[in-house]
Amino acid sequence: MEPAAIHQLLVEKFGDAVVGWHPDGPEPCAEVAPARVADVALFLRDDPRLAFALLMCLSGIDWDGYDAAGKGKSVAILGYRADGTPEAGERVATGDLGVAYHLYSYAHRHKFTLRARVPRAQPSLPTVCRVWPTAAWHEREAWDLLGIVFTGHPDPRRILLEDGWIGHPLRKDYAMPGAWEGVPLQGQPYAVSSAKPVLPPPSAPAPRPAPPDQGARGPAEGGSA
Amino acid sequence: MNPAIDGVAASRGGDDRAALPRLKSELLELNMGPQHPSTHGVLRLLIHTDGEIVHSVRPYIGYLHRCAEKIGEGCDCRQFVVYTDRLDYLAPMNCNFGYVVAVEKLMGIAVPERAEHIRVICAELQRIASHLIAFGTFGLDMGAWTPLLYAFREREVILNIFERLCGGRMLYNYYDIGGVRFDLPDGFAEEVVDFIDMFERKLDEYNTLLSYNKIFIERTADVGVLSVADANAYGCTGPVLRGSGVAWDCRRDDPYSIYDRFEFDVPTGQGEMGTVGDSWDRYMVRIREMAESCRIVRQAVKALPEGPIRTPELKKIVKVPAGAAYTRTESSKGELGFYVIADGGATPFRLKIRSPSFSNLHVIEKIGPGQMISDLVATVGSLDLVLGEIDR
Repeated sequence: MEPAAIHQLLVEKFGDAVVGWHPDGPEPCAEVAPARVADVALFLRDDPRLAFALLMCLSGIDWDGYDAAGKGKSVAILGYRADGTPEAGERVATGDLGVAYHLYSYAHRHKFTLRARVPRAQPSLPTVCRVWPTAAWHEREAWDLLGIVFTGHPDPRRILLEDGWIGHPLRKDYAMPGAWEGVPLQGQPYAVSSAKPVLPPPSAPAPRPAPPDQGARGPAEGGSA
Repeated sequence: MNPAIDGVAASRGGDDRAALPRLKSELLELNMGPQHPSTHGVLRLLIHTDGEIVHSVRPYIGYLHRCAEKIGEGCDCRQFVVYTDRLDYLAPMNCNFGYVVAVEKLMGIAVPERAEHIRVICAELQRIASHLIAFGTFGLDMGAWTPLLYAFREREVILNIFERLCGGRMLYNYYDIGGVRFDLPDGFAEEVVDFIDMFERKLDEYNTLLSYNKIFIERTADVGVLSVADANAYGCTGPVLRGSGVAWDCRRDDPYSIYDRFEFDVPTGQGEMGTVGDSWDRYMVRIREMAESCRIVRQAVKALPEGPIRTPELKKIVKVPAGAAYTRTESSKGELGFYVIADGGATPFRLKIRSPSFSNLHVIEKIGPGQMISDLVATVGSLDLVLGEIDR
């Protein structure tokens, strides 16, 4: 089934919950209201005409600064000052966050892309890990790296970063900390980083023990040693 | 209830069990990894065991996390190829391939014929090299040293071929947006055919040595059985999915590059030694896939045309027109997908990497419980994980 026909089915079934349709480009995709994502997912999996058994990929996206005309200014990578402290971005990120679901049906051999956008201030939408269990880890990753909350997730922990990590690195306004637990992170040479390595205090070298007297054993008798 | 304990009680004549006071026992928490020879990298499995029986498995990953996706947002499309090498470091050619195909799809450019053939030859040789590691290390997990040495002996030839091609032995950075970086050295085709001639005979040797070895079959048959439903639900792809009997391969069923021109079969698990979808089936799919890769390489070398090796009109810094596309390719581990969102600039706006091992590992939470600990080692080994692409 073509993506446009699948979109039509979704509109018939969910009406206003299908809030957008992007038919252009290499990959047409439908946008749905975030609150209805789990219902739409269940329909996509269980309707025999669709039968999307495989969630190929679930991606979190920070749409801040995106401009389809190519004029977008990404604040993705910020620089660092000479002393190693991160540069503050001038623009405050305000754009939406989003999730993209890439589906495939083994039965009908068709693909479909579903997207949902959530406001940055309250980035939460229902989990689909009860529809496709594989989503559980992808959603943990989207939480970990982008800070998108999946309500009803059975195990909402970080997955790739440490549990105590602060911030979500794939957000466009993320500033990498200068150091993490004493280890400099910002790519500066170790010597100029703000987290200087703790070296032992300089002290006078201990007097070396006198070498053992080897003169007593002359070269003549060492032959068979 | 514990099947092992029940079994023992039954074999002693079930009745005296009622007379015994109920034994109070609790689950034992056990860490397998992050440094453990059977985890194939820096992976930690937190296991709860009831005696020798695994009660639950929880993988902890991220020890190799480099946030490659953030790096991808910071360098231009061509520069990122070198980072894809570091995803699945046992099959960098396949990772290069997946990435350049994804970017080219978004740019809408065609790749010269010669480059397409070179890409296929390298990707299939790489698949053989990667499966050889899977074969060798799986044997090692099962207590067999020799297969690893055999595997590395043959892999060495492939690495030498790649070294002559692009200078690298482990990380190649060979594929380029719009083609490949270097043309083939003199005598490359003969060298490859010689290798294939030699290698196809070696496959029988592997079967004698390991595949049909009684001890090996005892260790792997009926172990870690993965049903088709679970494989689909957990997004398993590649040899893990095919081991469960599903004849599905991106190269054949969702073709990219020029794979639709070649003739090859998609081997699947048949349950020859036990149940369909057991560890032996997953292992055997890889052995048979190596033979299919040989077939593809033969055809590609035969059809190799002359001509340019990259699209001539591309500039040094390529700009990707605004748009988004998810492109998947069949890497040696399964479906390797790149979701590229471009905004018209030189760097991708967002780059999501869907690595096959990530989903293939996830399923251990489902098929791990209920096994003996030693069988868990067999199951993990049969999934052929590479932590570089899990942690990204």
